Amino acid sequence: MEQNYHAGFIATKPNWRKAFRAYGKDLSVLAADVFVLLALWGLCSFIWNHFALGTRDFLSLPWWIVVVACVELALVWSSFGTSPGLRLVRRRLIDERGGRRLFFRRLLRVVALHVQPFLALEALITAKYTPRHDRITGFRVLSETELAEARSPWYRSSSSLSIVLLGLAMFLVSALFTQVDLGALFTNASATSEIWYRIFHPDWSILGLGVRLLIVTLYMAFMATLFGVLIAVPLSFLAARNLARGVIGRSIYTVLRVVLSIIRSIEPIIWAIIFVVWVRTGAAAFAGMLALLVHSIADLTKLYSERLESIDPGPVEAIRATGANGLQVILYGIVPQIVNPYLSFTIYRWDINVRMATIIGLVGGGGIGQRLIQLTRNWVWDQAIVLMLLIMIAVWVMDYSSSRLRARLN
Amino acid sequence: MKSARRHSPWVRLAELRPRIFAFLLDWASWGYIAYGIMYFLNKYWYIRHVSFYGRLTLPSWGWPLVILVTLELALLTHAFGQTIGLSLFGLRLLGSDLRRIPIRRRMRRYFEMHWKLLLQPIALFTDRSLGTLLHDGEKTGTMRLFAKVKDEMPLEKPRNWWLTYRGLFTTVLLGMTFWLGWKITAINLGMLVERIGKSGHIWRDLFTPHFTYLTKNVIDGRTFSIAHYMMETIFMAFFATITGAIVAFPLSFLGARNIMGFSAVGWLTYTVMRFLFNIFRSIESILMAVMFAVWVGFGNPFAGALALFLHTIAALGKLYSEQVEAVDPGPLEAIAATGAKRWQVVAYGVIPQIIPSYLAFTLYRWDINIRMATVIALVGGGGIGTLLFYFKNEVGRLENAWNLVGSVIVVIVVIVWLLDYISARVREKIG
Amino acid sequence: MDEFIRVENLTKIYERGEVLALDDISFTVKRGEFLVLLGLSGSGKSTLLRCINRLIEPTAGTILFDGINVTKASARQLRHLRRRMAMIFQQFNLVKRSSVLTNTVSGRLGYMNPAASAIHKFTKQDIDDAIACLERVGIPEQAYKRADELSGGQQQRVGIARALMQQPDLLMADEPVSALDPATSHSIMQYLELMNREDGVTVIASLHFLSLARRYGSRILALKDGKIVFEGSPAEIDAAKFKEIYGEEAEEVEVR
Repeated sequence: MEQNYHAGFIATKPNWRKAFRAYGKDLSVLAADVFVLLALWGLCSFIWNHFALGTRDFLSLPWWIVVVACVELALVWSSFGTSPGLRLVRRRLIDERGGRRLFFRRLLRVVALHVQPFLALEALITAKYTPRHDRITGFRVLSETELAEARSPWYRSSSSLSIVLLGLAMFLVSALFTQVDLGALFTNASATSEIWYRIFHPDWSILGLGVRLLIVTLYMAFMATLFGVLIAVPLSFLAARNLARGVIGRSIYTVLRVVLSIIRSIEPIIWAIIFVVWVRTGAAAFAGMLALLVHSIADLTKLYSERLESIDPGPVEAIRATGANGLQVILYGIVPQIVNPYLSFTIYRWDINVRMATIIGLVGGGGIGQRLIQLTRNWVWDQAIVLMLLIMIAVWVMDYSSSRLRARLN
Repeated sequence: MKSARRHSPWVRLAELRPRIFAFLLDWASWGYIAYGIMYFLNKYWYIRHVSFYGRLTLPSWGWPLVILVTLELALLTHAFGQTIGLSLFGLRLLGSDLRRIPIRRRMRRYFEMHWKLLLQPIALFTDRSLGTLLHDGEKTGTMRLFAKVKDEMPLEKPRNWWLTYRGLFTTVLLGMTFWLGWKITAINLGMLVERIGKSGHIWRDLFTPHFTYLTKNVIDGRTFSIAHYMMETIFMAFFATITGAIVAFPLSFLGARNIMGFSAVGWLTYTVMRFLFNIFRSIESILMAVMFAVWVGFGNPFAGALALFLHTIAALGKLYSEQVEAVDPGPLEAIAATGAKRWQVVAYGVIPQIIPSYLAFTLYRWDINIRMATVIALVGGGGIGTLLFYFKNEVGRLENAWNLVGSVIVVIVVIVWLLDYISARVREKIG
Repeated sequence: MDEFIRVENLTKIYERGEVLALDDISFTVKRGEFLVLLGLSGSGKSTLLRCINRLIEPTAGTILFDGINVTKASARQLRHLRRRMAMIFQQFNLVKRSSVLTNTVSGRLGYMNPAASAIHKFTKQDIDDAIACLERVGIPEQAYKRADELSGGQQQRVGIARALMQQPDLLMADEPVSALDPATSHSIMQYLELMNREDGVTVIASLHFLSLARRYGSRILALKDGKIVFEGSPAEIDAAKFKEIYGEEAEEVEVR
């Protein structure tokens, strides 16, 4: 039972969380604006450098000048108009003094904003955050919903225009960075004409070997999914926020979530590099299976635990109310709700594993991919296309049956 | 009065479709069991023929024997129990009183099946009720769609899944696949443990990354920079996603049944579009990158971008068109009733409903494309994989090769995780 | 009829001090009573019920159930206590994908051997009892259907059957008829009345409609903003007291 609170407690509790949340909002406005401005500057200077000077440079000026300029500009922007940061936290700047000496007050606000970092100390000590830069200059920051104003169309607000500009610049820079050169497609087509000829005249002699390799690949995917499910199901209960109780439970939850996110960020192919070196040569299929297994565990646990976090708490409450112990509550209240979603995720993951298994051979992970990359490296394209067709058929069948099965599970 | 169109042979065949597919599925599952048995025989009986891929050695009379035996077994189980195929297609063998049929009648059904199935093609042209075969009838029971008769069936206690035929069969199939898989992939945990000595240093080096090449550094006269390649990867994925989404947007309408299904040309376009989507979705980006790397040059990020672009169009096209098909028809009706043209109905009725999910799918796809872009350099697609595989190939030569690999992996993890988190948060906000 | 439940100075505070759900509540319930809790949404009725079987932990106060201190009970004692307290809910809280029979039998979980219950191995006695309970609420033929295939009224009856399986001393009903139409509401309330009269079960039900409270309740407890504003027999509520409970703009609605 929690400690007894007396009546005074409710009224005068110092609320640091509130203070920091308010301060954090102001800080995030500034951070978002600086980020947008830096990105815009970097992208535009890259474009300029590319076309005007033929170099690749994101900063045309020393970096500290750029940063300082962006910070100052951001402060000005949030005081003079609606900056992207303000849009992000859905606030507006309201004038409280009826437009008297508006320009001067806005400038004063910019100057006062430089004091903002020190206000964090004040929030820490007194658990109160008073945005003095607003109060002195006669402004107030209100959330959008309190204003009931129509939003100005996108081509008339600086924040939306800047975001659109950012998007266009990003697209242009990405095209330049990726060295998009449609002309190369056409000029090189003739040089690779022999390959195209080979591709359209497949050599079917490799079909038998291809089918056998495909069987190995499919089994690799199956075993990886099976063991992945066996390990992920219990792990998911440990990684669900609503089931983690107590200090030990919470710390296991945090550690598990972090570690699994890291494992999930590394593609199975990269895991396969590591495992191929680890196992003996000749056990390539085993290495591929292990790579798929590691990634499957991480992905499945994430999907499972997210589903666990969104179960209906009603039946769980009802079973608890009958006096059942913890295990019975899980088996009767939670498990029936999650069996179908878990199966659906398992089939989804199996589908992905089959796709991955076909290409994991490219790094030496066994199966059909290994033979495929050997053939392409030796430019035996007429056999390579046969293997590609086999892969395509296998993935297609798997995809179709998995979508049908998952539709039935719902 | 029965109209001739209602009972045309094609319609009858269409009604029988679930039963035919269920039968084929069961036949295939028995064939799979036969494969397992043959593998077992090969591995443990003919010691000389122990082959890694389970090569099937059969005498020439073996194949017809296998086919006949599996066919008979499939017919037998179809007459007797509730097979996997039948339950997947929602069929049940019930008598006219909607109860299960006694065993003797099922035996009779089994025997009748043989000769009556041969006469079945003739029966397709005679006047019989839809969905039944010749061996169905009063005495031998009829195969019915479970969903249609569910409410009229008398309630009885359902049997434990473990004790039903299909439960047992599924368990046998799973067990056999597990055992086959174990043998084929040659799982050997002992090998992992005993090789820890030889490869333990890899893990140690991976966890102590050397960030020498984080920005710029020179080795063997070549300049490397992880930051540069990482930006190349991100931009490559971004470019492919955006252009793929832009192209997939109009194509998705061509692949949506409710927009296209009003004329013969429309159906043709729909079918072709869906078919193309399926093909390009089934080929992973990396495999396409193999081709493109040869076409535009090995190590050129354009190759990777092209491969991702094609795969993205197909993947997004399918997702988008499914959204278009799931659109609420109410607003469309209302707009059409005001006298708007077809394209206006689409623009004002369909598009506003699908924009949030389009954005969500595009973000989801960007996330996947980034992951793929990190490794697409393996086949020459450019991106940070170039550094990854370059350092890995230097393992013999360089002292700290694995440390450098570790640094690349750290950067990949950080960026992928960050973008994953951002895209999850934005998707939450959207819908 | 002796004192069965005693609640002393019960307080519940949420959100680190920002929401006061129950403010120093004290009352007693006699054995065999049919107590009705009245009040607007958010007045604390659900919180009060859930504090009695500690589905929600009280912030302060004591609850005595048949002389046993619920608030200080250990986990094991609490489970034994909960076996004697049954609860039915506004949203029925059945496990949707399980059969009606499994939902009913799960009322016995507190008494079952944990290992046997883990593999769904119910004794024949349990199954017969479950069918008997379903017969008592009038739906034995639905036993093998999935719970979400039943109508609202039928689902609530399954909830009652689950409560019956516990053979409880106390039945708590958290707005049991709020999600049902008027005719079904009466039929459900009649089952509760049956349990109260024939099995001698003490019933605490929270209701929205005063007419239902007048018809079925033997005593009424009205809450407002976490405090008790009325405690007495149904006949004592006149227009003035009604406005006190529900607020100035409230008007009584008849549920026939």
